Formats: sequence, C-alpha cells, structure tokens
Amino acid sequence: MPAKLVVQDLTHHYPDEYTGESVHALEKINLKVEEGELVTVVGPSGCGKSTLLNILAGLLPYREGLVTVDGVKIEGPGSDRGVVFQEHAILPWRSVSKNIGHGLELKGTPVQQRKTRVAAFIKLVGLEGFEDKYPHELSGGMKQRCAVARTLCADPVVMLMDEPFAAVDAQTRITLQEELNRIAIATKKTIIFITHAVDEAAFLGDRCFVFSARPGRLKAIVDINIARDKRIWSEMNVDKEFLSSRDEILRLVREEVNVAIEE
Amino acid sequence: MLLSRNNLNRFLAFWRHFSGANAINLTLVIFGILLVWTLISHALENPDRYLPSPIAVALSSFDMVYEGLLPSYFGDTIARLIVGSIFGLALGIPFGLMLGINRTVADMFYPIMNFFQSISGIAIFPIIVVWFGNSDKTIFIVILYTSFFPIAFTVLSGVREIPMKYIHAVRTLGGSRFQIVRDVLLPGSLPHIATGSRLSIGFAWRAVIAGEMLAGREGLGWMIFTAQDVDRTSEVILGMLLIGLSWIILDHYLLRPFESDTIERWGLVQR
Repeated sequence: MPAKLVVQDLTHHYPDEYTGESVHALEKINLKVEEGELVTVVGPSGCGKSTLLNILAGLLPYREGLVTVDGVKIEGPGSDRGVVFQEHAILPWRSVSKNIGHGLELKGTPVQQRKTRVAAFIKLVGLEGFEDKYPHELSGGMKQRCAVARTLCADPVVMLMDEPFAAVDAQTRITLQEELNRIAIATKKTIIFITHAVDEAAFLGDRCFVFSARPGRLKAIVDINIARDKRIWSEMNVDKEFLSSRDEILRLVREEVNVAIEE
Repeated sequence: MLLSRNNLNRFLAFWRHFSGANAINLTLVIFGILLVWTLISHALENPDRYLPSPIAVALSSFDMVYEGLLPSYFGDTIARLIVGSIFGLALGIPFGLMLGINRTVADMFYPIMNFFQSISGIAIFPIIVVWFGNSDKTIFIVILYTSFFPIAFTVLSGVREIPMKYIHAVRTLGGSRFQIVRDVLLPGSLPHIATGSRLSIGFAWRAVIAGEMLAGREGLGWMIFTAQDVDRTSEVILGMLLIGLSWIILDHYLLRPFESDTIERWGLVQR
C-alpha cells in the first residue's frame, strides 16, 4: 500500500524577515509517513521543522520538490490536513463545543450529525461539562485538548502537530502525551508531531525523524518499537527500548546542536 | 413610608449601580457643584442673565415641559442622533472591515480617509448648507460624516490586530475566504466595533447639537442657541444639562454594557 504522506526532494528558501537575505531552511527532504503511523520530527531550533509543517499544512507555498497526501499534490490548506498549533489557536469567541464542531460547520454537516460527533470528541479528550465554556475559562491543558478535538472532529487524513505541548507546564505535558497516545490508539490517525523535546519524541513516535541544523536535512530515522498500549510514563522510565531510543535521538540531536553552536 | 430604611437602601443601591464607583462620593461632588453654583449665582447682580441658580433652571424646565417644547426638542434631537449614527455605523463598519481585510484597498483609501478625518463636521457644514440648505438633510449628513470616521478607523485596526494563528487555524479546517471573514474577522473585531460605535455616537452627539445651531432646526441645540438671543440663560443651561445627562444615560445603559459584554465574555481583556 502506498504511503499516506510523501515528501520528495523538498527544498525551501525564504527571505529573512529583517535582513531580507535568503534563508536556506530545508534541503532535499525525502520522507514517507504510513497510514495510522505517528511520527515525531525533532531537531535543534532553526532546523526548519516548523517550515516543514507549514508546507505540509499548505500555509507556506513551496516550489522545489513534491508533497503528496494519498497521491495528490498539496497546494494550499485543506481539511484533509488538520493542524494543532503551538499556541492554542482555538477561537476565543466560540464555546468549546462550537470550536470543536467548527470544521464540520464549515463543511456544512447537518446539525444533528454534528452534535453527535462533537459529543464523541468532547468525551474523547475529557472535556465533558465544559461544552459551553469559552477558551479563557479553560486551563492551558484544556485549551490544547480542545484544539486537538477540533482538529480530529473535522476528520482529517493527517493530523499535523506543531510543538503542541510546549506551552503547558511539565505535569500537564506528561498527561497530554499519555492522552495523545490513547487518542492515537482510539482513532488510528496518521499523525506528524513536531517537537524539540527528545523525551516526547521518543515517547510518542513509532518512528522519529531527526533533522540536522540549518539547512534542515533528514539526518536519521530512529525506530521505536514499543507497543502503543505499553506507552505509559511510569513504565517508560525503566523500559530498555524506550531508554535506548531516547539516548540515540538525544545523541543525534546533540551533534547538531553542537554544529549549530560552532557556526 | 417614603423615607423607610428599605427605600433608602434601595436608593443607595441604585446610586452604587449607576455611578459604578463610590456613590456617596459622587453624590457629594454633585451637591458641591450645585452649592458653589448657587452661591456664585446669588453673589451676582443680574443672575438671570449671567448664571441663573439651579432652582431657576429647574423652574424653567417645568415651564418648558408644560409648554410641550422640551419633549418635542428632545425627541427631535434624539431622532436625528439615532438616524444619523445608524447610517454612519452602517457605512463605517463594512468600510473598516474591507480596509482591514484587503491591504491594496487599504493603501488606496487610507490617506484619503486620514485627510477627511482632520476636517471636522463643523468645517464641512458650510458646503453642505450650500448643497442642501438649512434642512434636516444637512444635519443628517453632518452626523453621518462625523460618526463614519471613528468607527471605520477603529474597525480597521481591530481587523489588523486579529492574530494570524486564528486565520491559519480556520484555513486548515477547510474555511473559505468568506467563511474566514464571517467566523474570524467579523467576531474578532467585534470588541473594536463596540468601542468604535461608542466613540462614533459620542462624536455624533456633539455634531447633532452643533448642526441644529448652525442649520436652525428645532432641537436641543436650537433651544440653547435661541434662548441666548432672548436672554433666557436658564434655558441655555437647561439645554446643556440635558445634553450631558442624556449622553451619560445613553452611554451607561446602552453603549458601555455592549462594549464590556463582548470584551469580557470572550476574555479578550485580562483583568
């Protein structure tokens, strides 16, 4: 079966916001993401991982290379690729359930069908009882749960996540990581998860793509062979496979951080 | 009994609600002003001409209400304000939105808007009178003109301040351009629309009064203007009081609640 998402020879330059000089963000990226897989992308800051995500989301036009989802070239944003942003980008003027049902509303899904589906996703992310609250009444973790539910409720082919748990506190982050793992089991979604946290990359990924310092290249792919239902932090902290994968990713990332510092 | 403890408490509660701040302080300040006003008035040789006492003003208001002039003037002025500012807002809000949404359109119109914004409603009055004479139409146009700019500018900046992440989010949910305007730009600028409307109606309120004076149409402005001609200073002061008080009531019971509701409900202001 062909891969769900394919990136071929993707190279990207963009003009620096202040100096106007051309920045070489990505260099000949080739990668494939299989259906139902959760891959993590990790690399030093400035390695172009957010650029990659914006291109996959269709928010950033690209010229060199080819990106396809289900064999169709992506040109611009579309509801086949849902995004969970770093800062919770749920709309402050919509209640939790209105935010979660927004994608279906845009598609014109009938109200009754929408309600049923929204209720299911509210349950999935554990926001029961908060349906009518507005985002400012929620904690940081709940806002991100709402954002994840909003993306999933629109039923995208691929869910793209851009450092979604970077802005929450450490305790909440651990909970959210375990919940995302549970959601990945329940929905079997294809997920691309961008992060700079090595622990997170190893905990969540079936595979981890390690990116090099700028220009971003795919430096290595680390396989993490741990069954999804075994992924619980209390067990991972003593799991040999997890620890060795994490150390491997950490070693690869640190090489790049050192390169970046030397330059 | 009228002066029961219960009634007193109810009265105090009303004041506390009305003034928002410390009601007793506000009451004291008002009484202080009335006292100073009375004293000055009594010290003058010809108070009826220069500064009639609060009681004289109150008495003249009874006369005018009795004659039916005050309610009719007041009604005229309020009607002009409502019609003029509704049209001003109805034109200014979409115009501001359009400028906020499309940078090319904004670059085209912004300098011209800025130019006209500096020409006050009073400054365009003479030419409007040439075109439409001393008519209600003239006043209407001046109010419309005056209320248009504050709302258009506020809405423009409101749209521009909406974080890109909201637009990106709705685009990746599959939102069309129209849906982004409807679901992001319009609600996102609603707090600015509320603030701008309040600002616009405030300016329009001043323009109505000035317009009535210059165009010689009946209303509160006209009342002040003509009373001065016939040396009825008490009516001048009465008119001023009514202008100020009606603004406070309008602002307090209509405009401010609308503004703070939208802003607070969405948590757009951190308190």
